[in-house]
This record gives sequence, structure tokens and C-alpha cells, in this order.
Amino acid sequence: MIKKSTLRNLYKIVDEKNVVIESEKLDAFSIDGVLPQIVMSPNNVDQVSEIMKLAFKDSLSVIPWGAGTKSALGNKPQRADIILSTKNLDRIVEHGASDLVATTECGITLKKLQKALNIENQFLAVDPPHVSRKATIGGIIATNDSGPERLRYGTVREFLIGLKVVMADGSIFKGGSKVVKNVAGYDLPKLYVGSLGTLGIIVEATFRLYPVPEYSETYIASFPSLDDCQETILRLLDSNLVMTSLELLNPDLSASLAKRNDLDIDDSTYSLAIGIRNAEKAVQEQISSAKKVCGQNNGNGFLITGTQEVKLWEDIRNFPWNLIKAQRVVCKAGVVVSQMPQVLKTIKQLSDENGVKIYVSGRAGIGICVIAVKGKGPSVKNVLKKLRDFITSIDGHLVLLEAPSEIKNGFDVWGEIGSGLGIMKRIKANYDPNNLLNPGRFI
Amino acid sequence: MTTQHKTKSSSWKNKFREKLIDIIGKEGVISSDDELLAYDCDALTGYRIKPIFVVLPTSAEQVSQVIKECDLENIPFVPRGAGTGLSGGALPTDEGIVISLARMNKIIDVDIPNQRVVVEPGVVNLWVTNAVSPYGYYYAPDPSSQIVCTIGGNVAENSGGVHCLKYGVTTNHVLGVEMVLPNGEIIEIGGKTLDNPGYDITGLVVGSEGLLGIVTKVTLKIIKKPEAVKTLFASYDNVEDAGASVSGITARGVIPAGMEIMDSFCIISVEETIGAGYPIDAGAILLVELDGPTAEVEAQLPIVEEMLRENNAIEIKIAKNSKERDLLWKGRKSAFPAMGRISSDYYVQDGVIPRSKLAEVLGEIGELSKKYGLRVANVFHAGDGNLHPLVLYDASKEGDLDKTLELAGEILKVCVDKGGSITGEHGVGHDKKRFLSLMFDDNDLDAMNLIRCAFDNKGLCNPGKLFPTPRTCVEPGMKKFEPHPVQKAGMGEMY
Repeated sequence: MIKKSTLRNLYKIVDEKNVVIESEKLDAFSIDGVLPQIVMSPNNVDQVSEIMKLAFKDSLSVIPWGAGTKSALGNKPQRADIILSTKNLDRIVEHGASDLVATTECGITLKKLQKALNIENQFLAVDPPHVSRKATIGGIIATNDSGPERLRYGTVREFLIGLKVVMADGSIFKGGSKVVKNVAGYDLPKLYVGSLGTLGIIVEATFRLYPVPEYSETYIASFPSLDDCQETILRLLDSNLVMTSLELLNPDLSASLAKRNDLDIDDSTYSLAIGIRNAEKAVQEQISSAKKVCGQNNGNGFLITGTQEVKLWEDIRNFPWNLIKAQRVVCKAGVVVSQMPQVLKTIKQLSDENGVKIYVSGRAGIGICVIAVKGKGPSVKNVLKKLRDFITSIDGHLVLLEAPSEIKNGFDVWGEIGSGLGIMKRIKANYDPNNLLNPGRFI
Repeated sequence: MTTQHKTKSSSWKNKFREKLIDIIGKEGVISSDDELLAYDCDALTGYRIKPIFVVLPTSAEQVSQVIKECDLENIPFVPRGAGTGLSGGALPTDEGIVISLARMNKIIDVDIPNQRVVVEPGVVNLWVTNAVSPYGYYYAPDPSSQIVCTIGGNVAENSGGVHCLKYGVTTNHVLGVEMVLPNGEIIEIGGKTLDNPGYDITGLVVGSEGLLGIVTKVTLKIIKKPEAVKTLFASYDNVEDAGASVSGITARGVIPAGMEIMDSFCIISVEETIGAGYPIDAGAILLVELDGPTAEVEAQLPIVEEMLRENNAIEIKIAKNSKERDLLWKGRKSAFPAMGRISSDYYVQDGVIPRSKLAEVLGEIGELSKKYGLRVANVFHAGDGNLHPLVLYDASKEGDLDKTLELAGEILKVCVDKGGSITGEHGVGHDKKRFLSLMFDDNDLDAMNLIRCAFDNKGLCNPGKLFPTPRTCVEPGMKKFEPHPVQKAGMGEMY
């Protein structure tokens, strides 16, 4: 429990309207059933620092919180005294349009940031899920979240150039810089990408930006067999085409997307969605080349543009949270591109054997699969175990993004971290000696 | 300046040498004075320290055993690739050894379908491209020294090149490393797959300047050669117009593969040296390289031309074939060596500024050059704001070097004042550590030191580099930063 005297001091830091302490309101901040004692939304970086100093003094655990859209990620927290919400840290500090860089506070939603950047015809090149549910920049950095356009731009890792962090003891430091090229000092921004709030509160970030491509088209092709589909993928990747996204849809996902978007995707087999954004002529020429490659491998399909195209990609991006509202287990697999078919075959087999539906959206150009298992009970756990065993056997990894507590019990969210775990733990111990930041959920 | 340690006795040295020979074999241990001289500096030749020994291991296991011996005897060790670094990152430590990775130079795996290459650290940068170019691929980071510099060194320095505006620097192309930690432990992080669970240690190790351990294997990403490449050349009356062209091009939404500017000083010396066909009466020239799908390049070409003309380009040329293109680039790539023709000595600076401040900063550099009475030639990666002012001096002239270093420092201050950085690709190393605090305060440096301490609690791995003042390691949770006893005693700043 937080001591009364500490509570009084916490109240001195932020206004009452930025504190949630009523138990009925705290339910909204549950993480795997663990409830915080207090939620605080500081107005500025100094207030964040003050809260952290008090927490450090009294050994209170702190869980950083953006919009909570990815709060299901990670192991169950060991404890949760304070949830520190960044929602009021939502100002854009600087948009250097002529330098294609922007510095922003991290509680800003991606949506709000993009809107401001779009005025100058620029954008932050990341397309994660949950944007309409107010995913914040801080949360996207902390989870290294991304979407289909990662093929072209990478994740925020590749264009986060500077960072300001409040550490466990309340001290404030910055890493990186505000220019696109810089090698002065360690690249601390990288350490924070995907660190899941375990190393400090990310309060400010500087990014390299990209110009908004002028035109976009998507070709969707279905293939008689997975082998034809894979051959197409390898041929496309080995070509001069610069694709923005290349998504492999398994039959269950195709069926769902076809229905929601009123598209005629063949849902009896595997399909590819090939998105290209560029100058208009460059898009048209490349799409026609892509179409040719598909045709040579027995792929048949159609072209979409405009609103229909925007809607489809939004749907793929938000998969599976948009499609499966209940009884879902979401995970992400990483393998090399050439091994993707084996993963899909294993999934098909597991789905048939266990009588559960499994949806897969494969980032075919980079070897990442977003996988959603619909169902509950022991069969789901069995599927996950077998899938992880297989993926590990081909030097890949499977991470749980979201699962009910009964699945997380006895099934490690992260899997084997490998021989780097020791150094990760030493970094964690040096940055957060009392293990107060998101304890138990990650490193 | 280096503190003097107590010199090790010759009998200790003999014993230690025997141990090293046991691990690596006689052919892998260098101990004769003559041969050691070849290792007393890197490409920043102004600082020289002779190591006690140089070892050339051939496996991670050997590196690990050597490091364990160093740990036991508290001997500092400095990793070294090809020694092309420009910041003294591979400068040996007094009474320390150098671990050269030159013999670990095998390309382990070329995996075309997955676009990955796995190499040992001593593999030369260009070898990677050579290995994959028959398949139509290349390795994007292309530092000027790419025909000799090694991947291990590139990882340590997070090397850039002339094409990183569009494709990024080393860190954007390294997916994993095997490394030996300063306690001798061998770990593997990252690899061919993406999003491996855990912290991004790979991202931290790239650019850590050899302070966090010794990388023994690197997984690289290769990319497909672009379908079309167009190189444009433009000459101007002055550097400001060239700079304005660069800003105009990016403002129009075009991100070329590279954009390079040279001022009149560089142009003249390059022309005298290799004759790249640059007009010697121009105030500046700009090279712009576009690449990508043919239709994209064709769409961008008129925009770029328009921006060049709009900003008063005098002459615009487009290379008609690869021969013409190579000649244009040859001029740029020989800018440093060409300086040797017009000045006996030169010092390269590596500051970065926001692109939009280019004209302002060049003006200020001009003023500083006048003030110090030293000529400064400017060549830079204009697209990403990375300046390489070359300060020309005469080492045989009393006080000239000191004045040069002072001027170079002033230039860095200007860069940082404009919101930039003290180094874009050469690293902090030994050379620029005293300037690191222009960018980072004590809290920032403490955060970096906590990383170093997590890896190297004893401070044996490439010590004395990067940090402006020596920082000790303390137990987690204790006060983070203790001033060095020497400083505490008022015996001055150490750098």
C-alpha cells in the first residue's frame, strides 16, 4: 500500500483532476487482473520526475501508460502501485519541416501527430494498429509496434533519432540528437525501442520524417497453392520493385477481410496484398510488373485504389483486434522469409487437428507473422506450445501479444531470450536498481 | 594526454606473452618493437601509443580466452579492425594490448533469398557487396574507406557513407551480432530474424566505439540494386546556392540516395589531382544521385533539375553512363587525399547540422577560418547535414596544430549551437571526447556510463575513449557518478 504521507505528497505534484483513485474507475487500468492503487497524469516532464522521485524513495512500482492499447503485452505484473499516464504530455515540441524532423512529447496520439505533420505533406513512417483507439507515440516506441508498411520504412527503431527519458530515480536524461545523422555517444534511443517501460518513462522523442508519397495502388492476388504464393513472394523480393507492403493472407483471414470490405478475395486459398506508394507513374508501372509476376505463378487478382484501398489496409493493420472481439489469443512469430511457408503449413495442420480457427497475416517481405487463435481452453494452449516448438526449431521466435490469464499461466509470453539475457538483466539492474518499472512483465 | 601507469616488468611481460601464445599460437602474437609500431595509431595519426602486445585471434573462443586473461591481470584491451578510423577509436591504451580482428575475415554465410549475409568482423566492407553483386544485391553503407575498412570497425563506429541519406547508416543494416563481453562471456544477439525478444542490444552495440566488447560475428542485411541510377552535377557561384538547392529538393518530397557539396577549395585541389571535370572557377558544386525504379527516377529528375535551376545553378550535367557517373564520384571520393596536394597536413572535422542551417554555418566557418588564419576546405554530405570541414595546416610550423585543433573545436561548437552534433560518422573516440559534453549533460553521460558499467564493470575495454571525463562504476542503486580521484584532488580535467 502507498503510505498516506506519500499519497499526500503525490497529490501535491499534480492537480486532483489528473488523479484517479476511486476503485470503480481503476478497473479500466487492469493489467492481467492486477489493479494499480493510483493513476496519475502529470502535465509536464518535471511532474513526471517528481512522481518518480517519490516512488523511488518509497519503492513504489510504476507502470507507464499511454492509451493502454497494448497493456496486454508482457507477463503479469508483479505489482502495480502507480500507473503513470502520459496522456497530458501531448504537445508537439517542434516540427522542422525543411529538415524533415519532428520532436514531440510522447503522450501525443499518432493520429494527432500525423495530422499536424500532414500539413507539410510529411508523415511519421509507421502504421501500427490501434491508431483510432488513440495509440500514443510513447506506447509505439515502448512496444516497437508497426504495421504492413514496415517493409518499406522499418519500425520506429530506424527513424527515432533522439529521446528524453525520466529514469527510475527521477533524473532526466536525453540520448541521440535532433539531426538525422549522429554517432555521438551510445545510441540510447535504440535501447528504449521495445523496452516496454522497464527502463524509464519515455517523455519526448525526435524522429526523422518522410514525404507523403503522392499516389498509391494495391494489387490483390490469390494463388492455387501456398508454393505458388511463396514463389511469387521470393520473385517479388528479388526484383527491382520497391513495395510499400506485401501481406500474405491465410484463407481464414481472407474470408474475413473479403466480407468486411466487400472484396472478391478467393477465401479458399492463400492471397497476397501488394501495396505500392510512389509517384503515380512509378506506382502504375510497378503494379503492372507485380501483376505479371503473380500471373507467371498462377496468381489471379484485382486492383484497388482510393477509399477501398485505404480501408483494406486499415483493416489489415488492425488485425486481429478489429476482427475477433472475444476469445482471442494473439501472437507474433519471426522467422526468415524462406521459412514462412513451413510456419503456415504448421498452422494449418494445428488448426485442423485442434478444431480451432487460426488467422494469419504474414508480413511476407520480412518474415513476421501476426497470428490470432480463436478459441479457449487447453486446445489453444496446445496449439501455442506446438507452434512455438516448431518455430524455435527453425531458429525463429514466437511472442504472445495478448492472451487471457489462464493461457499466460505456464506459457512464457516471451519465450527463450537466449544468451543475451544476462546483459539485459544487468542493464535493467543498473537503470532500475529497485525493479520498480513494470516489474515482472519483461526483463 | 595519457596518465602514466607503472610499467610492467619484463618478466611479467614474458609470462603474459607466453599465455597469449598458448591461446593463439606464435603467429598470432606480435611483440617486437618494430612490428608494434604499425599499431600505435589509427588514421588519426596525431596521437600515438605503443601497445605492449598485439594479438590476432582467429575465433570468438580465442578472443574470449584473451579477454579472460586481460580481466585476470587487469590489462586494458583495444579492439582494432583496419585502423582507418578518424577519431582515434583504435588508439592503444598505455600498458594495454590491441586485439586485431584482421584474421577473422571470413564471409560465413551468403543467404540471398533471405537477403542476409553473415560475416566475421575482419571482413572488408566492399567484400560484402562483391560477394552478393552477382545476384544483383549490395551492402548499402559505403564509407569512403570501404575498400579497406572492416565490418567490425563499421559496427563500432556506426559508419555512414555517401548514400546514407536514403538508405541509412550501419545500424540500419545490422540485424545481429555475436560478441565477447568484457568478462569473456560469448553472447549472441539478434540474427537473421526480426523482432527477437529482449532489449535491442544490437542497436546499442552498433556505434558503441568498441567500449562494450568485441564483436566476432555480424549479420547484415543486403538490398537489391536499384533498377535505375541518375547522377546530376551542378556548379554554382557560391556554396549558399548549392545548399539552398539541397533544401529545395527535399522540400519537394524527393529523397535522393545522396547529395554531396564541395566548395571551390576542394574543387581546385581535386581537379589538380585527378581531373574529374569539375569547373575550377566554380564557387561550389553539388552532386545529386537518384536511384530506384526507373519510373520513380524519371519522375524525380525534372523536380531536381528545377530546384537546381531555381537556385542559380550555372551548369547542370547528367551523367550519361556509368563511366561518367564514376568520374563524378571519383572527384568526391578523392577530396580528402587531394588535400594532401595543396597542404602538407589537414585535419578532418565531422560535425552535423540541421540541413536548413547550412548557409549560416558555412558563413560562420568562413569567419572562423579568417580569425585563425587557417584555410578551411569544405566537403560534405549535404543531404543529411554532415559537414567535413578540412582544416589545412603545417605540422612543422610551431603552434599550427594547436591552432588547428582550437579552430576545429570552434566549428563543433557552432554545429551544436545550431542544434546539431559533434560527429556524424567518425565517432567520438579519443579525439572528440572533450566535446561530448557540449551535447550531453552529466545526467545524459551518467545514463551512458550505466550502460558501459553493465558491460564492463572494470573499465578494461577500450578505456579512455568517448567519455569526456573518466567515470567509475558503482553498485546499482548507489550514487551514479563519482568524480575521478585525480579530479577530486583538484588536479584538473582529464581528456
